[in-house]
Amino acid sequence: MGVFVFLPLILPLTAWPVARLAEQHLHPRTATRLLTGVAAVMAVCSTVCLALLMVVGTAQLPGNPLPDGWSDPEVREAVPYDEVAGKAAIPALGAVALACGRTLWRHCRTRGRAHRALAGLPGTAVAVLPDKVPYAYALPGGPRDRIVVTTALLGSLEPAERRALFAHERAHLAARHHRHLLAVQLAARANPFLRPLRTAVAYTAERWADEDAARVVGSRRTVARAIGRAALVSRGAPLATLAGFAAPGPVPRRVAALLAPAPAGRRWPSVFTTAGLAVWGATAGTAVSAMASANSAVTMIAILHAATPL
Amino acid sequence: MKYAAAEGRQGVTDHRQRPRRRGQGELEVLVLSALREADGPVTAGWVQERLGGDLAYTTVITILTRLLAKGAVTRERAGRSFAWLPVADQAGLAAHRMRRVLDKEGDRQAVLASFVTGLGPDDERLLRELLGRPGDDSCSASDDGGEA
Repeated sequence: MGVFVFLPLILPLTAWPVARLAEQHLHPRTATRLLTGVAAVMAVCSTVCLALLMVVGTAQLPGNPLPDGWSDPEVREAVPYDEVAGKAAIPALGAVALACGRTLWRHCRTRGRAHRALAGLPGTAVAVLPDKVPYAYALPGGPRDRIVVTTALLGSLEPAERRALFAHERAHLAARHHRHLLAVQLAARANPFLRPLRTAVAYTAERWADEDAARVVGSRRTVARAIGRAALVSRGAPLATLAGFAAPGPVPRRVAALLAPAPAGRRWPSVFTTAGLAVWGATAGTAVSAMASANSAVTMIAILHAATPL
Repeated sequence: MKYAAAEGRQGVTDHRQRPRRRGQGELEVLVLSALREADGPVTAGWVQERLGGDLAYTTVITILTRLLAKGAVTRERAGRSFAWLPVADQAGLAAHRMRRVLDKEGDRQAVLASFVTGLGPDDERLLRELLGRPGDDSCSASDDGGEA
């Protein structure tokens, strides 16, 4: 156990370079799957280790359910009997459980409400709402998948661009992107170091749908125009960023990517490039994270088993 | 007391001195039918006039607000007051309810992946530049687009 139990808590840092580089150097589909997988595994490992630390922490509380043999010097030797870490793990695990529960609950509630709002309409795949506010999104699950779009947005697009919009939303639904998004959201709640992966996946999932739409429509430029026009009609309050440091937002980056040639389908970057190093760094970090948490869990079970007088 | 809802509007004019009590539902139906007769959004004052003027302005506002809460009418700001219009059909009602769902969800990006996200301070200019650029599908000019 020892120091291994702390490793998965900080190993998500190894995924930061790939979260930053994936959107430029990997196909959006590969990037989304890779980043979601890395985030999910690292979040689970980090939570397992937090739970193990919590067990150590509860040993210091009076009336804990741990066996009496737990306080033997041999056991104290084997576990990180650090007062601060053990005690801090208890509220941390509680916060993680609360945050994940809240995210999950809000996700289900909003989806349910959105489906109920559409209840009176005929059950078509596309729900067109007469509304002056332009917006469009894919509404997964429930009785069936639906695309919600307002007349204001449709009215501002040309026929070819409308096809691009519908192809984009259908791609979201067909590839079940909401699961990826939910997974990285939960991961970001489980370990704050995983937040850059959530931002990255939110972007690569959009890019994935853009690429699919471009293939269906047969014109990258049409999809780019549809995105640009939709963004310009629906621009609301500008995002709260410092103007001086503002990097190009997701929409211009998506448009620029569509105006560039299509990304190569199945191409992993070589280990000797920056992106390759980032990918393999994150993969190694995930593997070490998994092994460290498995090691800690096995050790903990072995200690508990040994300390239990049977 | 004897007047039914349908003839209420004609009836009230010659019985103005004798105020009569009406059920809540009856007033709502009256206000809603007056709104339906209008072509376009109208003010509460217009509704009051249309109903013969025997209802107080505040009563009309109260009824309209109640109808708004029920999702039967919508309103939009017109100058310093509101212009009211009936929610025509199921689609309008669904749009209204959907807006409420979205407005309630502060972080809506987190839940429903929308087609486009908000634009940053410089994004609009950048976007217009990108789209204004001539070219076809094989256009490969994107050197300044990606995040460097």
